[in-house]
Amino acid sequence: MEWLGELKSDADDPELQPVDPSVTQAFEAMLEEAKPAKPAKPGAAPPAPQASPQPLVPPPVVVPEAPAQPQPVIQVDPAVQATLRAAQPLPAETEGPEQEFARALAEEGPADPAITLADPVTLPNPGLNQYDLNQYDLNQYDLNQYAPPPVGSGTGPQPAVGPGTGPQPAVGPGSGPQPVLGTGPIPAVDPAASPRPSGPGTGPQQAVNPGTGPLPALGTGPLPAVGTGTGPQQAVGPGTGPQPAVGPVGPGTSPQPVIRPGTGPIHAVGPNTGPQPAVGPGTGPQPAVGPGTGPQPAVGPGTGPQPAVGPGGSGPQPFAHPGPGPQPAVGPGGSGPQPFAHPGTGPMPVVGSGTGPQPAVGPGSGPQHVLRLDSGPIPAVGPGTGPQPTVGAGTGPQPAIEATGPAYYGTDTVAIAAASPERPQPYAELGMNDEEYRRVREILGRRPTSAELAIYSVMWSEHCSYKSSKVHLRQFGEKAPKTDKLLVGMGENAGVVDVGQGWAVTFKVESHNHPSYVEPYQGAATGVGGIVRDIMSMGARPIAVMDSLRFGPADAPDTQRVLPGVVAGIGGYANSLGLPNIGGETVFDACYGQNPLVNALCVGVMRHEDIQRAVAPGPGNRVILFGALTGPDGIGGASVLASATFDEESHQKRPSVQVGDPFMEKLLIECCLELFNEDLVVGIQDLGAAGVSCATTELAAAGTGGMHVDLDTIPLRDETLLPEEILMSESQERMMAVVTPDKVDRFMEICARWEIPATVIGTVTDTGRLVMTWRGETIVDLPPTTAADEGPVYNRPLQPPADLGALQSDTPGRLTRPSNGDELRRTVLWLAGSPNLASKTWVTSQYDRYVLGNTVLAMPENAGVVRIDDDSGLGIALSLDGNGRYTRLDPYAGAQLALSEAFRNVAATGARPLAVTNCLNFGSPEDPGVMWQFARAVEGLADGCQYLGIPVTGGNVSFYNQTGSAPINPTPVVGVLGVHDDVRRRVNMGLTTDGATLALLGETREEFGGSEWAHVVYGHLGGLPPLVDFKAETALASVLVNAIRDGLVTVVHDLSDGGLSQTLVESCLRGSLGARITLPGDPFVALFSESVARAMVAVRPGAEARLAALCESAGIPVTQIGVAGGDSLTVTGHGPDGDQQELFSIPLYELRESHERTLPSYAD
Amino acid sequence: MDAARVGIITFPGSLDDKDAARAVRLAGAEPVALWHGDHDLRGVDAVVLPGGFSYGDYLRAGAIARFAPLMTELVAAAEAGLPVLGICNGFQVLCESHLLPGALLPNAGLHFVCRDQRLRVENADTVWTTEYREGQELVIPIKNRDGRYTADRETLAELASTGRIVARYLDLNPNGSQDDIAGICNEAGNVVGLMPHPEHAVESLTGPSTDGLGFFTSIVKRLVNA
Repeated sequence: MEWLGELKSDADDPELQPVDPSVTQAFEAMLEEAKPAKPAKPGAAPPAPQASPQPLVPPPVVVPEAPAQPQPVIQVDPAVQATLRAAQPLPAETEGPEQEFARALAEEGPADPAITLADPVTLPNPGLNQYDLNQYDLNQYDLNQYAPPPVGSGTGPQPAVGPGTGPQPAVGPGSGPQPVLGTGPIPAVDPAASPRPSGPGTGPQQAVNPGTGPLPALGTGPLPAVGTGTGPQQAVGPGTGPQPAVGPVGPGTSPQPVIRPGTGPIHAVGPNTGPQPAVGPGTGPQPAVGPGTGPQPAVGPGTGPQPAVGPGGSGPQPFAHPGPGPQPAVGPGGSGPQPFAHPGTGPMPVVGSGTGPQPAVGPGSGPQHVLRLDSGPIPAVGPGTGPQPTVGAGTGPQPAIEATGPAYYGTDTVAIAAASPERPQPYAELGMNDEEYRRVREILGRRPTSAELAIYSVMWSEHCSYKSSKVHLRQFGEKAPKTDKLLVGMGENAGVVDVGQGWAVTFKVESHNHPSYVEPYQGAATGVGGIVRDIMSMGARPIAVMDSLRFGPADAPDTQRVLPGVVAGIGGYANSLGLPNIGGETVFDACYGQNPLVNALCVGVMRHEDIQRAVAPGPGNRVILFGALTGPDGIGGASVLASATFDEESHQKRPSVQVGDPFMEKLLIECCLELFNEDLVVGIQDLGAAGVSCATTELAAAGTGGMHVDLDTIPLRDETLLPEEILMSESQERMMAVVTPDKVDRFMEICARWEIPATVIGTVTDTGRLVMTWRGETIVDLPPTTAADEGPVYNRPLQPPADLGALQSDTPGRLTRPSNGDELRRTVLWLAGSPNLASKTWVTSQYDRYVLGNTVLAMPENAGVVRIDDDSGLGIALSLDGNGRYTRLDPYAGAQLALSEAFRNVAATGARPLAVTNCLNFGSPEDPGVMWQFARAVEGLADGCQYLGIPVTGGNVSFYNQTGSAPINPTPVVGVLGVHDDVRRRVNMGLTTDGATLALLGETREEFGGSEWAHVVYGHLGGLPPLVDFKAETALASVLVNAIRDGLVTVVHDLSDGGLSQTLVESCLRGSLGARITLPGDPFVALFSESVARAMVAVRPGAEARLAALCESAGIPVTQIGVAGGDSLTVTGHGPDGDQQELFSIPLYELRESHERTLPSYAD
Repeated sequence: MDAARVGIITFPGSLDDKDAARAVRLAGAEPVALWHGDHDLRGVDAVVLPGGFSYGDYLRAGAIARFAPLMTELVAAAEAGLPVLGICNGFQVLCESHLLPGALLPNAGLHFVCRDQRLRVENADTVWTTEYREGQELVIPIKNRDGRYTADRETLAELASTGRIVARYLDLNPNGSQDDIAGICNEAGNVVGLMPHPEHAVESLTGPSTDGLGFFTSIVKRLVNA
């Protein structure tokens, strides 16, 4: 009982009073939204020219004027973007990634004016918010410089289109001196049969004639045209001069060469019949890609104007990457699949028509995409025979359109940013409001570069900054009970608790809700991966996982898509990591139909001395990125997926969901443990949302304040990634470590042994600046604390939901209750087989609960119990609980009831509750009703933890869980960690001893508000949830812990959802032993009320008196309710006439059938 | 005499290696960690290939691990009579290595299945099963995704007729394996593959039973008595 000494026991505590919802209030802090604490957004801030969706004008597209400016925020759906990217001209600045989440942000809208910015920054606004094409200074860009790419149309073979064979445009001023494209005709092709000499040099190079032999590599001067050939052609190397045309004149029949990036204009790629070359990124204008019959090339990102993609070949057509320059026209269709066209911030191309599947931008005979515009002039959209895009349409062949030749911005460097303060930036697309953007400018003393804008936008996103929740979450710290058990508190990747004997435990739960709806398997799998890396980054060995899942109705068709995928994803990832899944919950409710909740918990252990921190101290220390390569995964994922409200467009987000590789993560775990074991790291951070951006910013902010990172060193899976994309990529299974120079070699050796790529990407400095370079230019130079720790804080408006009063007034008292034995019997079976109370074996049998050999208890037990020390038996217990219906009725009480249940569950195994984690799943914080629910729930949880004397060590906030304007039931999920000094003394919940006396501890009141009975039988939600009674809860816990320690009880099962009825069903079936029960009082209330602070126990023969004495001293009522035994559940009580009689008897096989067949019938 | 030394191979992605080591220790032998990338069996008296997802089970369960450097030595030693027990993924590796016939396909239900499985010992004469008696029923956890034992008809007939089926599933066949096969051995009886995990049934605290310990005590007694 010593642990109870710290607890308050004031019966007058307001929490102990019946909760009046209107009176209840808020609580505290935790974490983020649906993900790991990293921000997710991509970032770059490309300015998009832009505008609002412009009316699409038919074919001829107006060339935007200076396209380069950042556009107003246009939201582009990520999936659409992906498809658009190839086709659209890239705007000059950043592009891609941010736009993905931009749409989500757009949905969010600019900050509500009613919201007060806690730290308002005023900055003169030069009118950046307005985007108007007229703003563009036309004089800056000489349109005549650009050779308009003609675009064909029609359904037949199309003519080659491409600037490549004609005069090439000069590249306008943008980000510095730009090369002028050759304006003359490209050299004639001179066929020949021999290999050509290569002509490396700095001067103009010779034309390379087509031939049948290999063609030469090229040098650094202007490069020659490469003619057509019938043999394999050679790669055209990077050059600094204009690069060659590749066989624009005649078709080739063989694979054509790769065109490497160059800094000069790049040439047109002619038609041919073989696979066509990839066109690499370059800083100059890029080539036109002609038609061909083979697969056509990918067009890499470039900073110059991008090429026209010619009219169709018969093979698959190219993928065009985004670049900051004008993007290419996508020619009329070939007969093969056509390319995805990415959106860009530059002028948009004309899009022709074709007969094959068409690209995102452009009509075709196949299904067409919505054309979302972002920044540039809007393209004309040609005709098609299939569904047409929202923007523009035509029925006839379209005329060739003059190309737009807007200026483009090159890589947005710090120097350029300083010199071009007026360049509009798409901060709104990135989710920043005007005030936030102004504040960034004030911090930097200039406009941010696109990469900096990307970093600030993600680091200041709701997901990473907790800007809406922070003011409430502070209570977790302010109200934290005094304890010496907390070794690391909130703020690190996860809190660390002392469990004794030199051992420390870290645990945390996080959500991955939105990704799991979009792509159930990978969304859930990567949710597990992310939380496991959080635990690893504290220096701990992960030892178990749990999952709290919520879906729509079990019989809903979409649930049958989401549920199996989520379960398989959690199992597939954790099983492959070798982590036992020891418990959790699976709940069904219509409110989660289009917004499932997938909350994953991980717990890890370490010796006290092995605790690691996410810091980067020590100037000169190396920054090492290790784990998986960086690819275009989930760029924008965190913001888009964590903040987007689900709607019919969700399916278009598929490409944004990351894909996990549990095998790599398993290697990472073992590798990290070896690194820790040899004391090779001084700081470590996992990469989650917002990837490198977040990890470098947070490490630097927590260290000596400075870091220099060379983005060119980051190993990429896709070399065409732009710097902003590299910064924002959410590729999984990556970690970042800070290592002293003398230990780098050994660090690398260990990584090599585990076959894990590891690269030094930077150095810790003491400059107080996070500096990043790319291709030799500085693109980021900012004070990291301003991004990591000094984000905006909002005090959003709060107001109880309008329907709350009506909801609370609609009590379950009006519902007809079962009145006789037969009705009670049917109700018991009905509830036992209802989806929320039915056996979850279908789920849990897909999880490995045995691996690591330390699982003492796992689901469906009261709590998961894991042994930490084989010799001493030291172990932990964990329970994860939540109740959205209770919280809907009263958020303050609902959060406390979740805490209460988890606390009780842990104690029911014999463990002393020690610490709390939580995952707060709510709707949009911009909805005052939701924000009120959040504030009340946080306050309730903080007050509860304070009362119970167990601190919150960390957690996660997930907002925007809603469909349209309908938020989910507010669902705080609370995890309580307890400690077992010796797990061998634990008890479980299954009745196994015939003849054992069964007793009910605690007081049963008539409480049905939000109950399973009302939900299952009537679909009713109303009234008030059960009374919170922490005093009784702590007393019960003390009785249970002591009774178990002293061996007075052999079985314990808590009472919660479904009341005593469900407890009896579970205990009988778990042990395959029946029971004869005599109910006190009203049988219906006794069976189905959900009053808190109750448990059923089986008393060890002869210990009845000692248990009674223990209960009496603790003030816990104890009632003998029956005896274990037999093969049926038989219940006696007051009949309708008030006489004592057998009310019903249910054979175990019938009970089992009802309880166990439900989920398989829906899920298989 | 010195305790018997039982090697446990760790491949990238092995998961139950530490559990196998614990079982070996509980059986009275000394567990010896073996690394897949070495060419050294370190003079062990027997080897356990543990469960897990070696190489992520990419390509096919066990298909990549089979080419690990150490497998060269292991195959030669096994053919020369070294006692080898492959559990779950280890069983898959042994099949891929052709030390055992047949293959393990994805479970019939296409789900990962974790459950406490009843088994019947069919052959108590292998070096890994002498502590059991033929027909003895055990409860041992099974947990795998690719556990459906499959072989051609001739092989199945030969396995059955020569007593090389070591254990069969009772009650519900968890994965659709042919002939309810849970484990088999080679002709000499020194190489045994099992889908269930006996190393997870060695302590009453953490397992559904202690029925699995016999596999480890069998080999320890044999080695000690040898």
